Amino acid sequence: MKQKSLSKRTIALAMAALMAAATMSGCSTGGKESKNPSETTKKETAATAASEAKAGQAPTGEIKPCTIKFRYWADNTDYSQLMQDIIKKFNEENGKGITVVGEESPWDGGAYSENLFNTKMGGGDVDCATWKLTSTPLFVNNDLLADLTPFIDAWDKKNDIDENIYNIMVEAGDMERIYVMPWNIQVLYVYYRPSVFKQAGIEVPKTYEEFLQAIEKCTLDTNGDGKTDIYGFGMRGAKGGQEPWGSFIYGRGGSFKDLTTPEAEQGMQDFIDIYKKGYVPPTAVSDGFSEIIANFQSGLTAMTIHHTGSSKDMEKVFGDDVSAFPFPAGKGQWTSMGDTETVIFNSCENKEAAFEWVSYLAAGEGQKMWCEGTGNVPVSKSIQASDFFQNNRFMKASIDGQGYAGIVPILDTTTEWISSLWPNTVSQALTGSITAKQCMRTLQDGLYQ
Amino acid sequence: MKKQVKLKDIVCVYLPLFVILLFILFPFYWTLITSLKPADELYGMDVTYWPRVLTLESYGKLFTTTVDFFGAMKNSFITATMTTIVSLTASTLAAYAFSRYQFAGRKILMCTFLCNNMFPTVLLLIPLYSIMRKMGLLYTPASLILSYTTFTIPFSVWLLLGFLNDLPMSLEEAALVDGCNRGVAFVRIILPILGPCLVATGVYIFMTSWNEYTFAVMFTNAETRTIPVALKSLIGQLGVQWDLLTAGGIITIIPVCIMFFFAQKRLVEGLTAGAVKG
Amino acid sequence: MVKKPSIWPYVLVAPAVIIILCVVFIPVINAIIMSFQNYDLRRPKEIGFNGLSNYRAAFMDPLFFSSLIRTILWVVCGVGFQFLFGFILALLLNKEFTGRGVVRAVSMIPWVTPGVLIGLMWRWIYDGNFGVLNDLLLKFHISSHKIPFLSQVTTAFPSVIVTIIWQGIPFFALMLLAALQGVPTEIYEAASIDGACSWKKLILITIPSIKNTIYVTALLRVIWVANSVDVIFNMTEGGPAYSTQTLSVYIFNKGNALNLGYASAMALLLAVLLLFAAVPYLKMNFKEEV
Repeated sequence: MKQKSLSKRTIALAMAALMAAATMSGCSTGGKESKNPSETTKKETAATAASEAKAGQAPTGEIKPCTIKFRYWADNTDYSQLMQDIIKKFNEENGKGITVVGEESPWDGGAYSENLFNTKMGGGDVDCATWKLTSTPLFVNNDLLADLTPFIDAWDKKNDIDENIYNIMVEAGDMERIYVMPWNIQVLYVYYRPSVFKQAGIEVPKTYEEFLQAIEKCTLDTNGDGKTDIYGFGMRGAKGGQEPWGSFIYGRGGSFKDLTTPEAEQGMQDFIDIYKKGYVPPTAVSDGFSEIIANFQSGLTAMTIHHTGSSKDMEKVFGDDVSAFPFPAGKGQWTSMGDTETVIFNSCENKEAAFEWVSYLAAGEGQKMWCEGTGNVPVSKSIQASDFFQNNRFMKASIDGQGYAGIVPILDTTTEWISSLWPNTVSQALTGSITAKQCMRTLQDGLYQ
Repeated sequence: MKKQVKLKDIVCVYLPLFVILLFILFPFYWTLITSLKPADELYGMDVTYWPRVLTLESYGKLFTTTVDFFGAMKNSFITATMTTIVSLTASTLAAYAFSRYQFAGRKILMCTFLCNNMFPTVLLLIPLYSIMRKMGLLYTPASLILSYTTFTIPFSVWLLLGFLNDLPMSLEEAALVDGCNRGVAFVRIILPILGPCLVATGVYIFMTSWNEYTFAVMFTNAETRTIPVALKSLIGQLGVQWDLLTAGGIITIIPVCIMFFFAQKRLVEGLTAGAVKG
Repeated sequence: MVKKPSIWPYVLVAPAVIIILCVVFIPVINAIIMSFQNYDLRRPKEIGFNGLSNYRAAFMDPLFFSSLIRTILWVVCGVGFQFLFGFILALLLNKEFTGRGVVRAVSMIPWVTPGVLIGLMWRWIYDGNFGVLNDLLLKFHISSHKIPFLSQVTTAFPSVIVTIIWQGIPFFALMLLAALQGVPTEIYEAASIDGACSWKKLILITIPSIKNTIYVTALLRVIWVANSVDVIFNMTEGGPAYSTQTLSVYIFNKGNALNLGYASAMALLLAVLLLFAAVPYLKMNFKEEV
């Protein structure tokens, strides 16, 4: 603890040296932690103090040659290579003497963010990093992230990214400032097997009710031995399952604002019913990403929910016998927007240079290379408009879903809620040890404690 | 008569050995054939016990793509070997002191050693990182060697203490009566007798540092990362790269097993060799 | 045992103590202090001393108790069977037979396997749709349908216990094998002349001669297994429905969520409990010397 405030003070001092004397007092109070428990408006105070310090650091337009340490995770070796190529290209072509040094860190089931946090709290010298929105409150509350608002305001490509996306970034932070630089998004949609739909004699569902019926009808016993051979839907019950699950809650008219409404409970009940009636594989309770994809790709399930990240492999396996539709509307409509962003840390000494790099990823050549290589949805409007993204059926389902795509409320409780509370509580409900009502109560309390 | 003995051998030695080995080796076998299977066979509806198509592609990919498994193996090897040397030396000295001397603070120290490893590392990470940074060891193998040494010494001391207390003291006492001093007696008598136990403890230290992940991911960078971190980087948000992961596992296991094959010879040599030299 | 005061023991202990002090002393003290604080890094502005409320909260937390009971089961079953199989293996590997060196080497495999891989491989073996275990059960007609081992509250915990048993056998086998080398062969020969059968030899000679090693390895393994996280975490992450959440996994989850105060308090409680388990051995160890 002592060391932490000590290192904070070192950062504060370093910043103070950079700034005009007038802002100095503001900085040192912002850097230190006030440990007064009575402060209920914790977020605001931290942010105001910090922003006073940072206000003096608006872009000067001058960039000295420097080295930027950039930490990222790669979902597979191909993406790792791609990122190294982008870094190499940037280093060769930026013309300002900026050298980005990439440091790969394992995704580790999401522990990437905790490792990054521990590194930064221990005084590590990472300048910028790839990011998940869910960890934003943790870092902002500990005053680790640089305020990007002035940089974005002064950026010539600001309008290439949709206002809506900036708003989501603002909501994840302190409701005022942008701490997170958009990079790419993934909109969840429903993958389905046209051949199974044909066998079951159904069309692509247009409403939430039709979707539930489709799940039932696609559950087939193809060889007549009395056992299910194809399950209607690949449910994700392990960590990360809250994303497709959210669509069920909204389909009945519920919402994340209050999970205990009768509508939300009804959505939960639907979720339980399709499990209990055997329309999803019995392993659903503990199925994570790899399992739902494997189940779908092996033909065990007829539908599952994921994003374009898996579309290349799907096409490789099925050719034309796989397609996608956006999650249909019931009383409400929602789909999860997966996100990947970048951030710059407060401790970074060359924020202008770091911003050059993250904006290269957001709207420059880096954006194009990354999104084309990984199949993620670009945030840059001009790149979204290119043929590559317009002529792809999976991209189309993604872009169609963009209008009602959202995120789980980003609070300081969200990470724990996602990684531990949601999977365990929902599996209790699925296996029948608690009711839908109790389940939703627990989830509500856990998120908004 | 002779036939009876043989039957007894089969029932008492080979049969139980076979059962235990089956349990121990099956997951290894499964890892091996998973690494040799092409992806579409992996998630096939029929489970195949020997790949229909044998492919060594994943082994090649392990060394040519961004994983840089060779570098990781080198780092792991350096770290584990250095840790074994440092930790084993410090532990042997301390264990000898605990078992042969009565001194103030002995019990407290022994208990502290035992408690040291009762605390989950996840709670120690931030201050540890900061200590490593201040000592300037971050991103060097030394940071890992130091932390692994710290976390293996307590158990090693206790293990060696257990062994030392089981050893008959008569040989050593005889040497002391003959006029050797303690140092000479330690080197000439205790060390050779302790041989098998030192090998066993050394193996414990080596394995622990070889397999550790939490510190490795925090204290290393691309140049110094070790095998567990390299393997973990094969599990992304988009699933597990089974082919590379299992191939990496096999390549990790085999050299250590070969090393152990040579080390285990010391397990039998120890006592007899000691008796001769003593 | 040398009882007169001497500088030597201190010199011998010094390197080990210095290394340990350098590295873990501050972090451990820090963790102990955190356990008396409302130390949640997600809300750094609220950090402050709160006396015993973390401990009180633990005693009110139903998840704490269910995890604690599971930890006891986990340790008793896990270490118990590890020891049993490990001891048998050590006795077998101590016999002379052709290919012994190779068998000794390959029986270390579970220990050599990186922790990252262990959880995933076993998860893969247990898989409810493509897993080899289900396939074997079906082929040998032991079961009529595929069992989703890790997805059922009833089967998930036994499944992870089997994995930890598998992982721990080589440790006991190696340590006990090493200790067996120290048992003087003359004693066995004498016993054979007396006509003792092999069971009697085992109980009357072998076990008493290596009892210190047995105690200490079992104790260390208990501490180790009680604190182990990676097998469970890689296989089930504590689920489904908390059915595989041991105390160490719970602490790990809270630690990862950065509620470090509460996590430290639970970790200290676990440490105290483990210390209780160690007391009999320590007593025995200290008594014998007097």
